[in-house]
Parts: sequence; C-alpha cells; structure tokens
Amino acid sequence: MDLSDPVLDRLRQVATIPDLGQTRYVLEKEIGRGAMGIVYAAHDRDLDRPVALKVLDSTFAAEAQLIARLEHPAVVPIYETGVLPDGRCFYAMKLIAGTRLDKYAAGPASLTERLRVLRRVAEVLAFAHRCEVIHRDLKPQNIMVGEFGQVYVMDWGIAAVQGTADFRAPEPSLDWRSDIYSLGVLMGFLLSESSSPALRAIVTKAISTDPAARYPDAAAFLKDIDHFEEGRAVEAWSEPLWYGLQRFGSRNAILLWLLAAYAGVKFLLFFLRTL
Amino acid sequence: MNKIFVGLLFGLILGAIDGATAWFTPEVRPMITGIMVGSSVKGMVVGLLCGWFARKVQSTMLGVVVGAALGLLFAYLVAAMPSANGHHYYLEIMLPGFVVGAIVGFLTQRMGTPLGRTTEDMKRAG
Amino acid sequence: MPWDTDTAIGGPDGRFPSTQLTLLQAATCGVPNEALDRVIALYWKPVYRFIRRKFGKDNEDAKDLTQSFFATALERELFVRFDPNKASFRTYLRMAVERFAANQHAASQRLKRGGDVAYEPIEEHASPDDSPERVFEREWQRELFGLALDDLHALCESSDKRLHFQIFEAYDLTGGERLSYAELAKNHAITETTVTNHLAWARRTLRVLVTERMRGVTSGDRELREEMRRVWI
Repeated sequence: MDLSDPVLDRLRQVATIPDLGQTRYVLEKEIGRGAMGIVYAAHDRDLDRPVALKVLDSTFAAEAQLIARLEHPAVVPIYETGVLPDGRCFYAMKLIAGTRLDKYAAGPASLTERLRVLRRVAEVLAFAHRCEVIHRDLKPQNIMVGEFGQVYVMDWGIAAVQGTADFRAPEPSLDWRSDIYSLGVLMGFLLSESSSPALRAIVTKAISTDPAARYPDAAAFLKDIDHFEEGRAVEAWSEPLWYGLQRFGSRNAILLWLLAAYAGVKFLLFFLRTL
Repeated sequence: MNKIFVGLLFGLILGAIDGATAWFTPEVRPMITGIMVGSSVKGMVVGLLCGWFARKVQSTMLGVVVGAALGLLFAYLVAAMPSANGHHYYLEIMLPGFVVGAIVGFLTQRMGTPLGRTTEDMKRAG
Repeated sequence: MPWDTDTAIGGPDGRFPSTQLTLLQAATCGVPNEALDRVIALYWKPVYRFIRRKFGKDNEDAKDLTQSFFATALERELFVRFDPNKASFRTYLRMAVERFAANQHAASQRLKRGGDVAYEPIEEHASPDDSPERVFEREWQRELFGLALDDLHALCESSDKRLHFQIFEAYDLTGGERLSYAELAKNHAITETTVTNHLAWARRTLRVLVTERMRGVTSGDRELREEMRRVWI
C-alpha cells in the first residue's frame, strides 16, 4: 500500500495516541515528551481531578516502580499504573502546574531563589541515593518549579537511558557520582549570571572529570551551598587571604562597625580629656 | 554553648576590657581593680539579659538595640554612683557602656543556641 | 502480546514474517536469506529513491543498482559488518548503499529476487528540497506503514474483521475530507460507539504490527526503541 504524505503523517500520529477506553482517564492533550515516553494531560473521571499520564514502552515499566519507592516532596506522586491494550505501560501522576526549569532560569529569579531551587534538587538526590535510586538524566527539562515555589524532579531514569549529552557525566557507566556531575552542570546552567568565585568553584568541583574528585555525595554538595549562603568558606575553593578577609568583613560587618565605634568613643573621650 | 552562656562570657570579657581602659584616666587609676570588677559584673548582667532576649527573639538588629539600651541603662546606674573622689563620670561610663552593650547584644544573636537545642536541631527546624 | 483473544496475529495457521528473531539473530543463526527478505521488503523502495535522489539516476539505472545491491548483500557480508553499537541498521544500510552505488558503474547484471518486487514506475512523493537522507528516512517510514497496513488488512480478512478495516480505511486512510463518526455509523448501520471501538482496535493493532515489522529489521530492543521514536509523531 503506497501512502501519501498526509496519510502517512496521520497514521504516525493516531497510532501513538493511547487508547484509554478501558481506564478511568479521559485524554486531553499531549504536554511533553521524554526519553522514555510521552506525557499527556488527562482527566480522572472517578476522582474528578486532572492528572498527568505518562505512556511508556513496556520495557520501562520499572520506572514507575522506581518512583513509587521514592516518597519525597520533590518527587511527583504516582496515583496508578496500568497497561494499555497495545502493550504500552502508563502511569498516572499528579499534574504539576508550574514552570520548567529552563524557562525559570531565563526569568528574573534572584540568586537566593535559584540557590533555593538547586538546594531542593540536591536534597531529593541525597534522599534518592540513600534509597539506592539514581536519576541518570538530571537536566532542566526534567525539573519543574511549581506556582508556589515547590520543586519537582521528574523522569527518574533506569539503565536503558544514559543521560542527555550536555548534562551527562563522561564516565561510561553511571552511578550516584554521575548525578553529582549533572547537578554541577545544572548549577552552572542555573547560575550562569553569577560571578562569585566560590560558586564557580563549587560547580568546578562537582563537574570534575574524575568521579573521585567530585563531591562524595549530594549532602557534601549541599553543605558547601549552605556555607556559601552563610558567608563561610566553601570546601571547593582555597580562597585567597584577601577574599577570606572580605568575606569575614561582610559576614561580621555590624560587629566591625561596633568595635570601630567603641574605639572611636574611647579615642574621643581621651581626646576631650586632654583638651 | 547556649545563648545565655555566650552573653555571660562575652559580657565578662568585654566588661573587663572596658573597665581596664579606665587606666587611661589617671585620676581613677588607683581604683582600677574595683572598676574592672564592677565593669565585669555589669557586663555579665547585660550579657545575661541579652542572652535571655536572644533566646526569645531572633533578630540581629533588635538584639543590638536591646543590648545597647541595657548597656546604657546599667552604665547609667553605675555612673550615678559617686566615685571615691566624688565625681560622676557619666560620659566616660555610659558612652562606652552603650557600645559594649550593643556588641554583646550582637554576639548573643549570632552565636550560641537557645537552651536545650543543638545546632543540628536548629538546622533541621530550619 | 496484548492481543484480543480472537485475533492472534496470523492465527494458529497464519504466516507472518518471523517475529521471533531479530535481524542479527536471523542473519547469524542460519537463516540469513530470511533476514535479507525482511530487509528487502522494507528497504527496497527507500534505497531505490535514495539512489535516484543522491546520484541523479534515472528509473532504470536506479532499479538496476538497487537490485544489484540486494542481490550481492550476503556476499558482501552486509549483516556481518553491521555493528549495532555504532549506528542503527537503517543508517548503516543507507551508508552501505551510498558506498556501493558510488563504486558501481552503470548497467550491471539483473537479478530478480522472489519475483514479487514491483517494477512499476513509482510515484514521487519527495519535494525537490528534501535531502537524499531525508528522502530515505521518509520512504522508510512510508514503506514500514505500508507493509504494516498490508498485514492489518490480511489479519482483518482472515479473522472476520473486514468491517474494522473498512471503518479504519474510511477514517484514517483517506487523504481528503473525512467522514464523521456519525456518518460512518450510518453508512455501515452500526452505532457510533462501535465505530469508536473499531477504530481504536485498528489503530492499536496497527501500532503493534508496525513494531513487529521494525523488530524484524533491528538488532535488538535498544535499537528498536530508538527507531520507534523516529517513527511516531
């Protein structure tokens, strides 16, 4: 059968549409595509609520089980899994209203807000690694920032997907340290406008080519972020003396002013007495 | 180290130092020991009250203001007592006392933990 | 396989291009001719059109070259040289064609395989701006769906689902104005719900048939998944 272009394109399209007739969901529209499947917005007829439906090849069914093991505020909760009549698996999850991180990063968010988002991502990674789950495909397109500032990390990967080139660690087989690498690239992406040498040093350490030279885990990465925000020295950078003094001065500006005021008062009193 | 202890410690140290600077006023040099003791006690009282305040209210600015006010008050009370030579040294006692109180107020806000909690507890409560 | 219980593909007696073996398995496990048959079924037209576009050959020369390519594929160890870690079979084949055609002189022996390869003039779908590579991929998609539709038609004929195919043909295979569900229901004296169900069955069966055709010309699950992603919109 020789097919015209319009018919061919139509067939390619219709054969992709999931048949939800035997489920309780009503398909609304496609909202995104990941490496392992297509995400649709749908409506749950029984509970009368919007859901996101991810339709996967059957070989990726394990992804749903993986995510279900992770109960964390930054992991989108899964409501249900199932198999479509054509053999594809799907899972229904909370529909997130928010902004993808690549769009968020292009917006006016302050450094503090960006660091907060980064911290949430690092926290969920730390949690997942403790549960022996590795993401493998951390990138801005897999992170959403909700309308109230909640952060969601999505598309938790399994072995078949080896990451997206820009954010993927260079080593051939991926482990938790590869996630640290991706976290570092993500940080560089998020804070591209930042000129702080301490932050740049954190990024550099996280994206070391040698996995052993990176942060040993997400908790160590978080600690350095904390230190930076508290005005303390970061492990990733041997700061020069002048920078350390400058940092001490910023962190303790009030104290230094008060000490100067005390010295000034004492000097003034001494001066007045000698007049 | 809890905030009250921080207040007591720095109140004592800074009060002693402040008292020692009386050495630059020749006419009160003979009384330097008493001045240092009194200044240390004053510092500890101010430090105690600042530390207690810091447990209740976490605000660097408010801590500085309250510390300064307490320092000024107790410095006034001390200055109001006539010295051995019958003079009152209001300016020499109150002005530095005001600043030392502010410093102790700052330190109790920045350092130490509220009684019974560790730094980790505070971070977790975050 | 997620079949409706009354429509197992091919049925117990039905013949269907072997789905048990991947391409490489067939090539290396003593049935290389069968592997080549599958490849020819899917790739003959895409290769032909690619040669025409890439090398500016006329109809006859392109046909000759295409025939020569496939006729000598096994001698030239086409399958043996394929490394799935480097590229998909589709890409590898296209590059092999390019090398072959570039090295061949015009007019070589004619060798017909199987007697069932069409030689009629083929309608040109590609626009003049399309690159040869784009033409190759597009024709590959076209051929893939064409074969899967033939399979679907055969399946419907053999399992008394002619109406399913008619509905599907009327709704999804028409390039022009499409009838509504209500009109289709009226034309075939069935309910709209039945129209919906028949269409859904046909579409998901088509999807499975396309996947099976692809499975037969890929090296394994990984390549299959990647190629399927290129197929679906």
